[in-house]
Amino acid sequence: MPKVKNWQIGREMEYPYEGQRPKRQWAIVFDLNKCIACQTCTLACKTTWTSGQGQEYMFWNNVETKPYGGYPLGWDVRILEKLGRQDWEKNAPLEGKTVFEAAAPTERALHFFPKDEDWMYPNNGEDDCAGRVEGGCHIKDLPHDRWFFYLPRTCAHCTYPACLAACPRKAIYKRAEDGIVLIDQSRCKGYGECVRACPYKKSMYNPATRVSEKCVGCYPAVEQGLQPMCVQNCIGKIRIMGFISPPWTARADNPVDYLVHKKGIALPYYPQLGLEPNIYYIPPVHAPREYLAQMFGPQADDAVKRYLELRQDPIAQGLLVLMGSTDCILHSFKVADGLASGYDEKGGEIVQVPVVEPLHARAAYDEKLATVRTNTP
Amino acid sequence: MRTAFWMAAILSNLGAHLGADIMAGKVALDLSVQPLKEDVFKEAKEEVVTLMAQPMVAPRPATTLTPEIRVRAVHDGHWIAFLLTWADTERSEAGRLGEFSDAVALEFPVKEEPLPPIFMGTKDMPVHLLHWRAQYQRDREKGPPEMKDLYPNMNPDMYPMDFKDQGKLQGISEEMREVYSHGKAAGNPQSYRKESAVDEIFAEGFGSSSIIHNPQSHGEGRWSDGRWAVVLARPLALVNGSVLVPGQPGHIGLAVWQGGQDEVGARKCVTMSWITLLMAGE
Ligand code: SF4
Ligand code: SF4
Ligand code: SF4
Repeated sequence: MPKVKNWQIGREMEYPYEGQRPKRQWAIVFDLNKCIACQTCTLACKTTWTSGQGQEYMFWNNVETKPYGGYPLGWDVRILEKLGRQDWEKNAPLEGKTVFEAAAPTERALHFFPKDEDWMYPNNGEDDCAGRVEGGCHIKDLPHDRWFFYLPRTCAHCTYPACLAACPRKAIYKRAEDGIVLIDQSRCKGYGECVRACPYKKSMYNPATRVSEKCVGCYPAVEQGLQPMCVQNCIGKIRIMGFISPPWTARADNPVDYLVHKKGIALPYYPQLGLEPNIYYIPPVHAPREYLAQMFGPQADDAVKRYLELRQDPIAQGLLVLMGSTDCILHSFKVADGLASGYDEKGGEIVQVPVVEPLHARAAYDEKLATVRTNTP
Repeated sequence: MRTAFWMAAILSNLGAHLGADIMAGKVALDLSVQPLKEDVFKEAKEEVVTLMAQPMVAPRPATTLTPEIRVRAVHDGHWIAFLLTWADTERSEAGRLGEFSDAVALEFPVKEEPLPPIFMGTKDMPVHLLHWRAQYQRDREKGPPEMKDLYPNMNPDMYPMDFKDQGKLQGISEEMREVYSHGKAAGNPQSYRKESAVDEIFAEGFGSSSIIHNPQSHGEGRWSDGRWAVVLARPLALVNGSVLVPGQPGHIGLAVWQGGQDEVGARKCVTMSWITLLMAGE
């Protein structure tokens, strides 16, 4: 089997096809400290792409509540259980096996096949830990502290997609121009191999058209220099979509490269599975570090520490306020004199925002108008 | 002439397949008639063909679920028909996620000389397949299942362009609705009602198969007592495809899918080498 270079696990790995990096790679960074599970992203995607027959339970973008929520049910626990213990020391290559390396000779990737019912609970009360106020918390006797965070997910348009590897009809392809992974809707015959093989469970079956479907990365928008719908509409402004470079060609003025490579505060999720997924997360600072290490790899602890130090870093702060400030894709950014600016591919300015919004404090009682005011920062 | 034919058959048999040849005797019937009754095969000799879990490409089955298939064949000088029977404890027609269809495929080389690789042919050495699916037969008989058949308790609010009272939105065409149905919008035959239980497929290697429009073949399956019996019929000369000639040997390959056991696509049981098809002369 060919060997390909996976920078996220720091080594070469087996993959059924030769490695071929796209000219540039679609990527989203999510700041998990800010997601409020409003599901606006989910609905933005749904109303754009999946409102038809056979898509009733289909959410290409979903937001689940960790640690116990999942769409489909238990997707993460189940693939991790299948893979078993795999070791990975900090600042060293992954010692353990990826899903490609751990696969039986009869399979392209180690996987589990979710059942139809598993898709029917898209964050239905997952974060509902209390009943009526007088009833108090109804989750008792947990063997650990009580905590949760929200995890918004799209397809990761992986560099080494398991969905693509498993499709015997070669109906799945990765675009050379932006790395977006698509299922050819005219070629797919609904074998569901991608639904089985994708460990993130981001390939879904449409029983009305009898073919599989997945997040299309909003390619028509991306082709016009616009960010995807789930990114544009994010209420919490927790997301930024751009193009990520591999570490050896990373540019410090590229927003995604900056967060992932330069600053090291955004990490891929479940990188140990070996797909080089291209959605990156700033881990939530309050969640147990062991859990974060399992989900984001051995760098999770450092990423949290660096994030907590951002107050001293005006550049990173500037970039974080650029998140959600424009519908356009930012190819580069600059922070100077308290202003953060984002630029298009040709260097034209798209947006400029103050790193800290000006603060106007007014007296609680306005003598002139004889009225009481509330200050809203 | 006759001796030469048998010699050729035996020689190619030695090279191609260990086991009995399939004899297609000539019958004075019209085999293009749909549906064909199984009794057209009553004089035909039944051969048992060994199948194995597809061994070449992953994903593939770990075990052989269908170790054998029984085959009978007859021809009428213009059409050839096959009766294929195998054991399958449940009838599966696909539907929801993870439900797959029972199916059978007959494979023919497009050119007999040299024979293409049995596993779906290769570049410039194509194969022609007749692919019967229980799912397609259900389509033809009852139409594809509606969402409310698959999920009786589901309650969707509404679908785009789908209003009971269209009011000012009169004139919404099926085409406008299909924009919201990706498979249909892309013209995927899989997403439309199948008018025939049999797809004709052209392939030049694994993962290369494409459906032939306006197929000429037809087929009909019947499941009872834990066995499928599928009749497949095709013209001897398929347009741009395989041509069988009375009095000359041809070749076939077979594949079976047990959908209820998650077999689909490359997860199938297959013949490991070409089987000689002896075509009785005029
Ligand atoms: S729109 Fe943004 S804040 Fe709201 S759930 Fe989605 S990712 Fe989270
Ligand atoms: S996340 Fe899953 S569906 Fe998306 S590219 Fe990766 S393997 Fe394919
Ligand atoms: S990128 Fe587009 S298609 Fe993908 S989840 Fe977001 S909105 Fe949906």
